[in-house]
Amino acid sequence: MSETPSTEPSLRELSADLRERLARVRQGGSEAARTKHTDRGKLLPRERVDRLLDPGSPFLEVAPLAAYGMYGKAPGDDYAVPSAGVVAGIGRIQGRNALVIANDATVKGGTYYPLTVKKHLRAQTIAAENNLPCVYLVDSGGAFLPMQDEVFPDREHFGRIFFNQANMSARGIPQLAAVMGSCTAGGAYVPAMSDETVIVKEQGTIFLGGPPLVKAATGEVVSAEDLGGGDVHARRSGVVDHLADDDAHALRILRGIVDTLPVSTGSTSGAGSTSGAGSTSGAGSTSGAGSTSGAVVEEPLEDPETIYDVVPSSTRTPYDVREVIRRLVDGSRLQEFKQLYGETLVCGFARIHGHQVGIVANNGILFSESALKGAHFVELCNQRGIPLLFLQNITGFMVGREYENRGIARDGAKLVTAVACSVVPKLTVVIGGSFGAGNYGMCGRAYDPRFLWMWPNARISVMGGDQAANVLATVAGREDDEEFKDPIREQYETQGSPYYASARLWDDGVIDPADTRRILGMALEVTTAVPTPDPNYGIFRM
Amino acid sequence: MITTVLVANRGEIARRVFRTCRALGIRTVAVHTDLDADALHVRDADEALLVPSYLDAEAVLAAAREAGADAIHPGYGFLSENAAFARAVTDAGIAWVGPSPTVIEQMGRKDAARDLAVAAGVPVVPSYGLEEDPAGFAYPVLVKAAAGGGGKGMRVVRSAADLPEGIAAAKREAATAFGDDTVLIEKYVERGRHIEVQVLGDSHGHVVHLGTRECSVQRRHQKVLEEAPAPALDAGLRERIHASAVALSASVGYENAGTIEYLLDASTGDFYFLEMNTRLQVEHPVTEIHSGTDLVALQLAVAAGEPLPFDQAGLRFYDHAIEARIYAEDAFGGFLPQAGRATTVHWPAAARVDHALESGQVVSTSYDPMLGKVIVAGRDREAARRALVEALDDTAILGLTTNTGFLRVLAAGTEFAEPGGIDTAWLDRNEVPAPDPAPARAIAARLWLDAHTAPAGPFAGDGFRMGAAPVAPVVELDEPATPARRVPAGTVARVTPHQVELAHHGQRHVFTRPDASADHGAAAGDGTIVAPMPGTVLDVRVAAGDQVSEGQVLGVVEAMKMELALKAPYDGQVASVGASTGQQVALGAVLFVVEAEGESA
Repeated sequence: MSETPSTEPSLRELSADLRERLARVRQGGSEAARTKHTDRGKLLPRERVDRLLDPGSPFLEVAPLAAYGMYGKAPGDDYAVPSAGVVAGIGRIQGRNALVIANDATVKGGTYYPLTVKKHLRAQTIAAENNLPCVYLVDSGGAFLPMQDEVFPDREHFGRIFFNQANMSARGIPQLAAVMGSCTAGGAYVPAMSDETVIVKEQGTIFLGGPPLVKAATGEVVSAEDLGGGDVHARRSGVVDHLADDDAHALRILRGIVDTLPVSTGSTSGAGSTSGAGSTSGAGSTSGAGSTSGAVVEEPLEDPETIYDVVPSSTRTPYDVREVIRRLVDGSRLQEFKQLYGETLVCGFARIHGHQVGIVANNGILFSESALKGAHFVELCNQRGIPLLFLQNITGFMVGREYENRGIARDGAKLVTAVACSVVPKLTVVIGGSFGAGNYGMCGRAYDPRFLWMWPNARISVMGGDQAANVLATVAGREDDEEFKDPIREQYETQGSPYYASARLWDDGVIDPADTRRILGMALEVTTAVPTPDPNYGIFRM
Repeated sequence: MITTVLVANRGEIARRVFRTCRALGIRTVAVHTDLDADALHVRDADEALLVPSYLDAEAVLAAAREAGADAIHPGYGFLSENAAFARAVTDAGIAWVGPSPTVIEQMGRKDAARDLAVAAGVPVVPSYGLEEDPAGFAYPVLVKAAAGGGGKGMRVVRSAADLPEGIAAAKREAATAFGDDTVLIEKYVERGRHIEVQVLGDSHGHVVHLGTRECSVQRRHQKVLEEAPAPALDAGLRERIHASAVALSASVGYENAGTIEYLLDASTGDFYFLEMNTRLQVEHPVTEIHSGTDLVALQLAVAAGEPLPFDQAGLRFYDHAIEARIYAEDAFGGFLPQAGRATTVHWPAAARVDHALESGQVVSTSYDPMLGKVIVAGRDREAARRALVEALDDTAILGLTTNTGFLRVLAAGTEFAEPGGIDTAWLDRNEVPAPDPAPARAIAARLWLDAHTAPAGPFAGDGFRMGAAPVAPVVELDEPATPARRVPAGTVARVTPHQVELAHHGQRHVFTRPDASADHGAAAGDGTIVAPMPGTVLDVRVAAGDQVSEGQVLGVVEAMKMELALKAPYDGQVASVGASTGQQVALGAVLFVVEAEGESA
């Protein structure tokens, strides 16, 4: 019944598969759509991002696999709306970190599907939490009309985009937009709600109602350009502030605007920002990066690529999570806390790219002791203002009379309370299973980690497929009915996939384990740039 | 015995003379103009006196008296070949570091010099009298000013028919340049090499030569590369050239350092006397290296009345030497003179550099554009040539453009690698290709990237993408550039967020990052110019159908006490004019329509 370990793909194979899927979504829309787009002299959205960012800037992309396997006309049509039709992420512009959201007009005209909205809002949340200036590269036909009921009316639907813009602007988080294509109806508010806006002439258009709607409403026949083209908005309506000749020019103007933003807004951490005092000899002499103030950052003793080899192919084979930690942290150094107590949860202090971090990592099932240890450690980190990193690989809390009677729920609640009330930045990586209440105690999506990523071997569901099938079969009185159980197992198998999760924005992306250290470093640099308030907790059930 | 030398000059040659003076324990006096008050030659001297001009003989002499100078070294240019000045100096009881005023005078006039050469048995270029029948001349001929030099007042004439015009033009130029329109006509050697001999005479009747130099690499008669000895001469020819130079010098009782210039017909091996320069030459360092001498020290000794310390047989010759003249000129931009602040100056370590330019110095167009000379030596010519290429690679001047990159291309070229391979007209016939800017741009991109992105850490500028190959960084520097892997050692550059200026193979490159705000205004509208305010039309300057250029004022409107000029948004044709002078116009009234070039039928 259970699969033999040898047939399960290795982490290396799963990562190769991930890279293939990422490569596919990064192409964007169909070849025909892309050709049509570029034939108009427009850059593809990822080219726009690359050119907007500083040369060589890394890009911490958010949810590239959003909407994966969704909205397809036929089963297996996994790439109907690649990346949910919008590219989002954090990169450097003029030496400062900024969040970029770029519509992909090659994907259904850049229209907003439910997950496009969800991803756009998620990106804005990241910006708001981390004080990142927002740059919107607008090229969208607005809401995807056939699904308007899932896009338009609710609290976290289309209108929230502009609500967020207004409130971020109010907080001094710059909102910048470039209109590089159509920007119709509700979408027109993205540039209109921005602090400063650029439009590409004879390419960008902004109107509440497009020419067809105008004709239908009033009978007026007008061209898109005359209705809401660049010249109209730059010279007459005042809806935009800058008129660009083409995409490249618009992106240059945006970079120029970012350069004028006061240093206090957004993150400017890291070396060699925009200072640029003329250095008069060969090798550039810029100072070290980040909060390490010039200190040399030690690489892990083990090559990050060897991370593939420490995680067994079978999720049932136990391994020591410290081997994973050794490949993530500076100098492979972990200052462990309560090493001899509650051994199924590894807690300890380390540095990642020079940033201090408190690590909470599963090393087996959670017992009362492990939960208590975790709660204590989370409190420690909050007291000291040290960001938390959760490495989730948890099948759940221990069950059974002995444990229930001793109050494991009480101890689990302590861990959940501590995690929920944490004020330091939290980062979660699901490196294996994410099941049941373990998901809560280990800072699942509901616990507002600043970022949450999954490895391609991750599984996520309320319980395991077998357990769910058995529970349901027991409840239904069909304990030995495999025909009853199989569809349940299948459902859990499908829905437990990291791609199923990532498609629905339950995470911020499925990541290659070998990239984990780099991604955590970027995230720590971004999240630690904003101050943390004093900790305050709810009642710990004693 | 000379104790105090005043150098009636500026720049590198003043510094060069001071250097020897210092070595000999002689006090040094500089003169300078207002413009040169802080010049390097002033700082090098023990004392410096202000003169209105380096050509002001009286003031220079007065300065020498005031400073108690007992010798004046004139350098080259300025008063160096001014016989009257030389005479005034000697009359004042001050030693003149140069030949006698009489010889200066004789050699200063081409016709007189030619007669002296003929008398000494030195071959001269066949010449023709103006009164002779032009039909009998062997063309091409050269018409040149008798009082000339430096290429001014020279004309090559290829047929008898063109002669009158050539003579007229040469006369005009000669009159303007020298105040004397006397011209000569002589045979023009099509492919000639410029060979010269350094001579040295003392007051005891001794004259020696210090070998040959070749200065055939010239542009419009301005020397560019010079070397010693002249290569590709057979021993007999070299001997005849040496002998004739010594004979001519001896015949006039030449004292001090001088140079006899010859034109060598590369095809026949015939050589002709051109002129004698009665001073130290710009290119004297190559002879110093080749002959192992200090010509300035020898000049001072001779001027003090001492005999030469060696006779001809006692002279030895050593390395091959090449000199490259660094000029403030844009060699790949029409050789336009350049001026400005030399923000960074890096002279090569492995070369003799006679210069007067340091970082931060302002180069003006008021004086000679030569900034310095890079002089290298090698066991043979090829070794010297390679050393020159290397030295020019290590020469970097930022802030203004120099010809260093041009010299580098020349020195590295196959033509110069061939001994005697370049004739005096070669540079005028051939265009030296500008170096490809791509390698320099790639280095600039690397410099920019290193200066403006984190060198390490999670946000390092390596183009990291999650779960994918990194995006190769592209730095737009006038055009997109992929950064070089590394910056070559010793690269001199100035990097700002907006610009990278660097020297690569001697050539100065300035690469600029795109500036969105600078090209902001470029987004012109549809060419309709409307009244920007309600007001009165004061002036209408164009009519429909007129060609206009971008920025040209089409008309003027007065409103709210202001006069507003209405300008053409781009080059084009006026399609319509909707205003007349004196007319009241409303805000937004269409006053002019300009159609861009190519739009109108």
